[in-house]
Amino acid sequence: MFQKMIDDSMKRSPWIFHINAGSCNGCDIELVSVLTPRYDAERFGFRLTGSPRQADIVVVSGPITLQSRDRMIRTLAQVPEPFCVVSLGSCPRSGNVFKGSYAIDGPLEKWTHVDVSVGGCTPKPEAIIAALAKASAILEEKRKAMRQADKADKEKRS
Amino acid sequence: MSFDILWFAFHILIFPGLLFIVVMGVLLMGINNKMVARMQNRVGPPILQPWYDFLKCCGKETIIPRRAQKFVFIGAPILGFAVLITAALFIPFGGSSVLSSTGDIVVILYLLTFCSVMSIVGAAASGSPYAGVGLSREMVAMIAYELPFVLVLLAVGKLAGSDSAQGVTFSLATITEWQTAHLPVICHISMIPAAIAMLFVIPCEIGMHPFDIAEAETELCEGTLTEYSGAPLGVYKLTHCVKVYVMTALFTALFMGGITTGMVVVDVLIKILVCLVVTFLSMTLPHAVCARFKVEQVFKFYWTFVSALALISLVLVWIGL
Repeated sequence: MFQKMIDDSMKRSPWIFHINAGSCNGCDIELVSVLTPRYDAERFGFRLTGSPRQADIVVVSGPITLQSRDRMIRTLAQVPEPFCVVSLGSCPRSGNVFKGSYAIDGPLEKWTHVDVSVGGCTPKPEAIIAALAKASAILEEKRKAMRQADKADKEKRS
Repeated sequence: MSFDILWFAFHILIFPGLLFIVVMGVLLMGINNKMVARMQNRVGPPILQPWYDFLKCCGKETIIPRRAQKFVFIGAPILGFAVLITAALFIPFGGSSVLSSTGDIVVILYLLTFCSVMSIVGAAASGSPYAGVGLSREMVAMIAYELPFVLVLLAVGKLAGSDSAQGVTFSLATITEWQTAHLPVICHISMIPAAIAMLFVIPCEIGMHPFDIAEAETELCEGTLTEYSGAPLGVYKLTHCVKVYVMTALFTALFMGGITTGMVVVDVLIKILVCLVVTFLSMTLPHAVCARFKVEQVFKFYWTFVSALALISLVLVWIGL
């Protein structure tokens, strides 16, 4: 029962960590506006954290420039399981207007699993909230899957 | 004999012990968040949000950094939580406290400091430079609020000890008795500055928003909590909630104790109401109104304005007003 309560709370308190992988700042401003009193994502329990160690949802914006690539990979490696990756805007999904540039090394799928992708340049705050809500539902599924895998592993050993 | 032990265990574990303390802490924190949200014209998180946060943290993977001192890194949050619960057991909440001695206030002061020191120790053991900056800021905050806090406690102790032979009392039981015999401490005009000073001490002791210089998430990557993840982080968050209860309950015991109707349930309900009002005045208002202070601003504010208020009360009480 305690495990079920944990599963349930997974989708009620997803904390967001934001990585800027060479974004033009447009998506970043829209993401912050989601947390302001007007859109108030905190009513679903979303909170912006400062440390990747405490993140549940990692939001990546920008076309993955060569300079930011290694730092992004290192930051993603520091996030504890289970976590979701949301790609924000058109840049991390396709490169957008920077496609074909020598300075970018995208798309994001090349480097990590992407659970939810929001299109747009820049996406609307409503779309971002919808994506985050979807990501938090996926988070619960992931936690359940993790638990079942653990259980199966234990049974196999015994 | 065994019944006595069971009764004592009930007091420590259920009411007014562990379970009650945690539930009250979570509720006060949740209501505080909700009130801040309403003041900013938002809907706000659900009242049980701190509880969901704690549960979620329990379900996450716990990462221990390679450079960290493993034993201290894991032990510090648990010890801090245990120490805080012990401190809460000394505070009477509608009826008598579970543990009591002649020096309650000194013990509570010591245990509260110990709890803050544990967060410093945990941060130091994590080996992160961000945590290093955070812990130095936490120390500055501790030095800042400790002086007015001690002055307030001395003022209350002197006032409530005026009947006894020693002149100053450090026992919460004596303070409560004195308040039953006379009026509650806050009804004495000389103590109003001390009450205001105490209201300012509470948010800094807890590390609530305008005074959360040690956990400034936008500048310091969560400061002292940078490297924490999983269950230890959840324990830290729960400690944070319990601190809200401990500090507001201490305020009610010091300034509004001794009001009894004879029925424990009614007494406890009155105390909970007072705790809510104190939470609103000391935490919600500054949180909704102010932006985060700088380190030197916090230090200056506490050592001039707040200390002066506490000192005024102390002097007034000492000359017998």
